[in-house]
Amino acid sequence: MSRRGPRGPALHYWKGVIRITAYLIRRLLQSILVIVGVSVVVFVITRAIGDPARMMMPLEATDEQVEAFAQRMGFRDPLPVQFWNWAKDALRGDFGDSLWQRTPAMELVLERMPASLLLCFTAITLALLASIPLGILAALRPRSWLDKLTTSISLIGVCIPDFWLGLMLMLLFAVSIHLFFTSGYGTPRHLVLPAVTLAARPWGRITQIVRTSMMDEMHKAYMVTARAKGLTEQKVIISHALKNASIPIVTLAAWELTRMLAGYTIVVETVFAWPGFGQLALQAIERRDLTLIQADVFLVALIVVAMNISIDFIYAALDPRVRLA
Amino acid sequence: MKSRIGTLLVAVLLVSLLASACATPAPPPEATTPPEATTPPEATTPPEPPPPAEISIVIADGGEPSTLDPQYADDGFERNVNDNIYEMLLHRDSGTMEIVPGLATDYEQVDDTTWRFTLREGVQFHNGEPFNAEAVVFSVERIIDPEYNSEQITFVETVTGAEAVDEYTVDIFTTGPDPQLTSRMTWMKIVPPIYTEENPDEFLVAPVGTGPYKFVEWARGDHITLEANADYWGAAPSIGRVTYRPIEEDATRLAALQAGEAQLVTNLIPEYLAQVSNSVSGHGLEFPWIRINTNVDPLTDVRVRQALNYAIDKEALAEALYGGYAAVAEGQILTPGHFGYNPSVAAYPYDPQMAMDLLEEAGAAGATLELVGESGRWLKDKELVEAVAAQLEAVGLNIDVNIAEWSDWLDLLFAGAEAAPQLQYSSHDNVMMDADRTLSGQFTTGGSQAAYGNPQVDQLVEDARTETDVAAREAMYHEAVQIIYDEAACIFLLNLDNIYGLGENLQWSPRIDGRILVKDMTLVE
Repeated sequence: MSRRGPRGPALHYWKGVIRITAYLIRRLLQSILVIVGVSVVVFVITRAIGDPARMMMPLEATDEQVEAFAQRMGFRDPLPVQFWNWAKDALRGDFGDSLWQRTPAMELVLERMPASLLLCFTAITLALLASIPLGILAALRPRSWLDKLTTSISLIGVCIPDFWLGLMLMLLFAVSIHLFFTSGYGTPRHLVLPAVTLAARPWGRITQIVRTSMMDEMHKAYMVTARAKGLTEQKVIISHALKNASIPIVTLAAWELTRMLAGYTIVVETVFAWPGFGQLALQAIERRDLTLIQADVFLVALIVVAMNISIDFIYAALDPRVRLA
Repeated sequence: MKSRIGTLLVAVLLVSLLASACATPAPPPEATTPPEATTPPEATTPPEPPPPAEISIVIADGGEPSTLDPQYADDGFERNVNDNIYEMLLHRDSGTMEIVPGLATDYEQVDDTTWRFTLREGVQFHNGEPFNAEAVVFSVERIIDPEYNSEQITFVETVTGAEAVDEYTVDIFTTGPDPQLTSRMTWMKIVPPIYTEENPDEFLVAPVGTGPYKFVEWARGDHITLEANADYWGAAPSIGRVTYRPIEEDATRLAALQAGEAQLVTNLIPEYLAQVSNSVSGHGLEFPWIRINTNVDPLTDVRVRQALNYAIDKEALAEALYGGYAAVAEGQILTPGHFGYNPSVAAYPYDPQMAMDLLEEAGAAGATLELVGESGRWLKDKELVEAVAAQLEAVGLNIDVNIAEWSDWLDLLFAGAEAAPQLQYSSHDNVMMDADRTLSGQFTTGGSQAAYGNPQVDQLVEDARTETDVAAREAMYHEAVQIIYDEAACIFLLNLDNIYGLGENLQWSPRIDGRILVKDMTLVE
């Protein structure tokens, strides 16, 4: 308010816009590099592990049939030519047809995106909701039984294999008592078990980081000031300590979310037959559906890049000292 | 200010991500299901009321169909669904596997290369298109079109075309005399010409057949739903609605059955059977076997090959690895249901002493042999290879087990007789129910997976391919099977059962050919 001068706000505003635009352009260029790099690597790997035509054709197919298929798919062209042909079409938004389901590959991947996003965002929300209060409580009473319990169970959360946890939850809550479903998609009752399974690891790690960050903050001088001002303990903890402890928490939560989206969901989606793009990626690999693998990885790379840019903005919002430059 | 812009951007990004996540609690099918295709014209007063939709079952299968085009892919998951939607000119009896009328009521061989089929009258596709000679001609021409490049082409490889004689009579032509044509016609599904031509994209995802079930919806990755066809020409099915769910994970399929979410699960692994109260099994078509390269020493010596067969305790393998849900292969890679099965051939008995004597005689005692296997494609494939290796070592051989990567394994399988490894595990299933497919692929000179050749067998298999006298043709196969057995052209192992878990109330008997026909199922109280 005090800054308001004759031209002050407008100038300041435009400076900010230019800075952020410049930042976005730079990040965009970096992102393009990342996505091209990822595409090249996947392209080369999928074609280097053996003759893709023989792997895709049925066992009984004759050599002539395999060769005809390879010619039609362009597998006999030099790799750079193959990549160039793929990239040319991809730039126009045409990622080719899935060899397995004979439908535009990107369409198949996009169809699966809502299910995966729903699962991952629910899981990270559950993880945050369960870890922040627990981490704070543990930090407030170091070495209490609650703190020790928190430390141990959060460690279990980190270490527990997700397929095992998933199957155990399934046996308990879907087979023994019919509270949730073993598998499938469509209602919140389908969502609970896969989301809880997927949340276990981020929950454990975030709980640990909340606990340690909060412990650090609790000993800092500004806490004494805040209390001396006469603020309630609640306000001291939430508005001061937690806000300052939030950068590492956000970093970790964002990292965990990115990990999930970038492939950590594959196991959970497969165990619970959840129709997301993780499960699709596995099916594409099992069936050697090169176009589908390529489209799936491309989209995941895009999501990861978008996540990273969002995280930068979250930092800037949380800590005024962070500048997007 | 700057942080406010930042916050705004973040908020927009997050909200759009969240919105895309939350806005679709409904399954994705809507997007993929063309509205036109799913609503066939209303039937005029059904002859009998369809079974109520409440009588419904869920089938949990190990994967999802590639597409629902019944003529393109060689895909078991596709067949499991489409076998209920589409029909063939001829069917096989669920119990005996004998050929019985399907969409054709009768057939006769007119001359060496022409078969005449009389079609069932008054049958309609689910969209109201009439079933007639034109539909048959269209279906034949479609599947053999080189442009279309069907993976199923080997099933109809001798068919050259078809011609309508009149509305309900059709001729099908073959390259030469083809005694297997009737078997081929139990394979090829009949598709509706107008719908298929006009909606090539919908056709892949919204099938229209003549069968006892019609397509309702496909939510990719989640489920496919069918409902009973009230106008079906045959006996009305008793189950009104069936939903297929792809559940890849074995343990989850079991859990879905135990939780009552599925009434039929496929490919139950033997270890799980103790936990299932209602299961059925029957001989399937899958034959794990060990290919012998008979062109390399010491395997050129028939005594060595016989020794390999005597050395294997087949019963023990069936019991230990498959919980008893496998039968010993009777010295041939055919089931009794296959045309050409030789009932007088029996498995080599387990006789390690005989094996050692034969190896001694052939001067091959203590020889080192390479055995190539692979892992994960078939039930207990790696375990089976390791058990076989152990049993061969027990008679004094040295076995180098090489569990190859899938692509390497494939290269070796198709490397041709010269480059084939000494011993290689593979698994064979012959859905055509005719010995030709098995014998020509695995046991004739130059067969795609063959590493054995015998001019006599080559001749018999070639002659049988065009021999139209059924008894004479069967005799040729009996002879070829006998020779292959006597020469111990491979190590005969097992014939695996198909194991299904059933819900408490579901009654059904599995078929040898593995088709899962919902019309054969009933729900009891």
